[in-house]
Amino acid sequence: MLQFSKFVAVRASLAILTLVLVSFIVFSLMELVPGDCAERYVAFKSSQGSVITPEDIQVERIRLGLDQPYVQRWASWIVNAFQGDFGDSCILRVNIAQLLGQKFWLSLGICLSSLTLAYAIAIPVGIISATSNSAVLNNSLRLVSYMGLALPNFLLALMIMLFSTVMFGNSLTGLFSKEFRDAAWSYERVMDFLGHAWLPIFILGWSATAFAIQTVRALMSDEIGKLYVTAASARGVSGGRLLMRYPARHALSPIINSLGFDLNRIFNELPVVALILTLTEAGSLLIEALARSNDQQLAGAIIFMLTASIVAINFITDIILALTDPRVRRSIVG
Amino acid sequence: MTDAANAQSATDQKLKEAYFTASQGQLIWQRFKKNKSALIGAWTLIVLIMSGFFAPMLTPYDATIAGRDKDYLNGAPQIPQFCDDNGCSARPFIYTFERTRSIKTNFRWVTEVKTGLEDRRYVTFFAKGMEYTFFGIPMERHLFGVDKGMIHIFGTDSTGKDIYSRTLTAINTSMAVGTIGVFIAFVMALIIGGIAGYYGGWIDSVLQMITDTVRTIPSIPLFMALAAFIPDVWSAEMRFFFISLVLGFIGWPTLARRIRTHLLTERNQEYVLAAQLCGASPKHIIRRHLLPSFTSYIIVDLVISFPYMVLSETALSFIGLGLKDPVNSLGVMLQNVTSADVLLNYQWYFIPVIFFIVLVLAFVFVGDGLRDAADPYSDSKK
Repeated sequence: MLQFSKFVAVRASLAILTLVLVSFIVFSLMELVPGDCAERYVAFKSSQGSVITPEDIQVERIRLGLDQPYVQRWASWIVNAFQGDFGDSCILRVNIAQLLGQKFWLSLGICLSSLTLAYAIAIPVGIISATSNSAVLNNSLRLVSYMGLALPNFLLALMIMLFSTVMFGNSLTGLFSKEFRDAAWSYERVMDFLGHAWLPIFILGWSATAFAIQTVRALMSDEIGKLYVTAASARGVSGGRLLMRYPARHALSPIINSLGFDLNRIFNELPVVALILTLTEAGSLLIEALARSNDQQLAGAIIFMLTASIVAINFITDIILALTDPRVRRSIVG
Repeated sequence: MTDAANAQSATDQKLKEAYFTASQGQLIWQRFKKNKSALIGAWTLIVLIMSGFFAPMLTPYDATIAGRDKDYLNGAPQIPQFCDDNGCSARPFIYTFERTRSIKTNFRWVTEVKTGLEDRRYVTFFAKGMEYTFFGIPMERHLFGVDKGMIHIFGTDSTGKDIYSRTLTAINTSMAVGTIGVFIAFVMALIIGGIAGYYGGWIDSVLQMITDTVRTIPSIPLFMALAAFIPDVWSAEMRFFFISLVLGFIGWPTLARRIRTHLLTERNQEYVLAAQLCGASPKHIIRRHLLPSFTSYIIVDLVISFPYMVLSETALSFIGLGLKDPVNSLGVMLQNVTSADVLLNYQWYFIPVIFFIVLVLAFVFVGDGLRDAADPYSDSKK
């Protein structure tokens, strides 16, 4: 037990170290971008009609603490970030945590559902295709996995939009119906949300599903030929019981490890898909912060939070693997 | 033993000898040739790249605003036909389209089709058209054209640019962006992975930590954020170069990791030890033993990472953060397709997508085929 908590502690500190490194990279990149927050805000002000002098920019800089040395600013940013406080947005002048709050969790929820859906499809399909000799099934799965790369999520989203507009005259976009857009959470709103969310969840999970099927299939076919499976079937275990008890348990543990990178892939696609499907509630802020308003505070915060959720997933899967896989558990506990 | 059997074993011997003395490249080619889907992919790829390369010759019009057809905005694809109500013709033809605006049309521009015999536009081959330079040679012949007016086999976009011409040029752009991106990623990966793999120890641990950290950051959102700060005053060429650079930065961590792993395992192989014991210099070992052991893997990795670059560029350009108008790419062409107007009325905007799916698929098939061919144990696995 002590060994195990030591393992958890080591993993946790590694995760935090990774986050600190990430924050440094993100913060530096945001610093490299031409212009700073004060200039942006003041430029925004002057576009509203106020007359701005260079002194005003200087005053604003001091107010925002931009005159302090780089490392100090980074340190205070990271300390605040770990407490969930990302400061104020450059242009909107609103606390970022408030601004992002619900929208971020909504986006994360959608991405995690896509990941779940991807594996809920991929694991059974992959196992079945690894055990079956049907050429039709295997070739069509091969085609699906190739399409997962050749028709990335955003192109798929476009194609589905084109198809549904031509066929049903409805582009299936958005996350809420009009009447629920700004309503408080209620049973009806949740139902409305679920009625709209299935499409983005499917689209975001599409590439991940295609790749996961291929991975599960490859891992399973490697395991199925091994002697311990033959030995088990010689003892009279057969069918689904044989598969689940022997090769599947071995084959699936590497998959748990790759969940973090699958989430990364989904995050990569999220902004573009969100833009196409006009998921205003979840993705628009991301796009807006990243692309439209040149708001480096907000952009930095969003990227940090996305990365933090990937690091969190990696941490959790490490722990789950250590708990479920006796080989890993043995190597930790000794 | 009879003479026939002797001859038989002699040819066998020869075949075996050919197999054992074949170079790495010959062996890979032998295995690659057997893979039908990879071979089809390779041919498709060659055709596509060539059509991108010879785009100015193969397309009737300039892909930029200079080649626009101002009388045929948002025009539907014009399919050449041989027959209609006025009889058949040995030469394929299309009809004349005219945009008119009058009190009859409520003062809106309306496109009218004239199907009369005299309104036929006949397709001509090697037609004289707009001048262009190909490798510095001024030319004016295009593969096809029509005798009067213009022809748009894939239709036109909202400014009247020919979608067929744009598609072929876009292939070129995507290949160029991908090549530069892959090259940058490759150089970075070679340096970082090479250092990590060669020195090992704590340098390796630190570099691994950094590589893994970079790998955790979702790259597209990050580069979206950076691309958003590109000043508007940058020229199209600057943007082009910057985007290629960004793509290179997206790709390096995965490659670096593979190079490092490969170097670490190969460094301790017996054949390296044997060469060292024979007195070979490190230079000789690296050049004659280590490099050949993984060049084929590296080439395969590069081919496989190519479609990712192309697709990332498409995604960035699509949301308006990548390349911009005078430069053509699939992403640029798709920029405005999500509007209801396009989805309902102008579906031919999506024709280029087909080309790009085929391009990416061809790359994937070739990459997979190369990977299997470069793996010396692929035969024994099956």
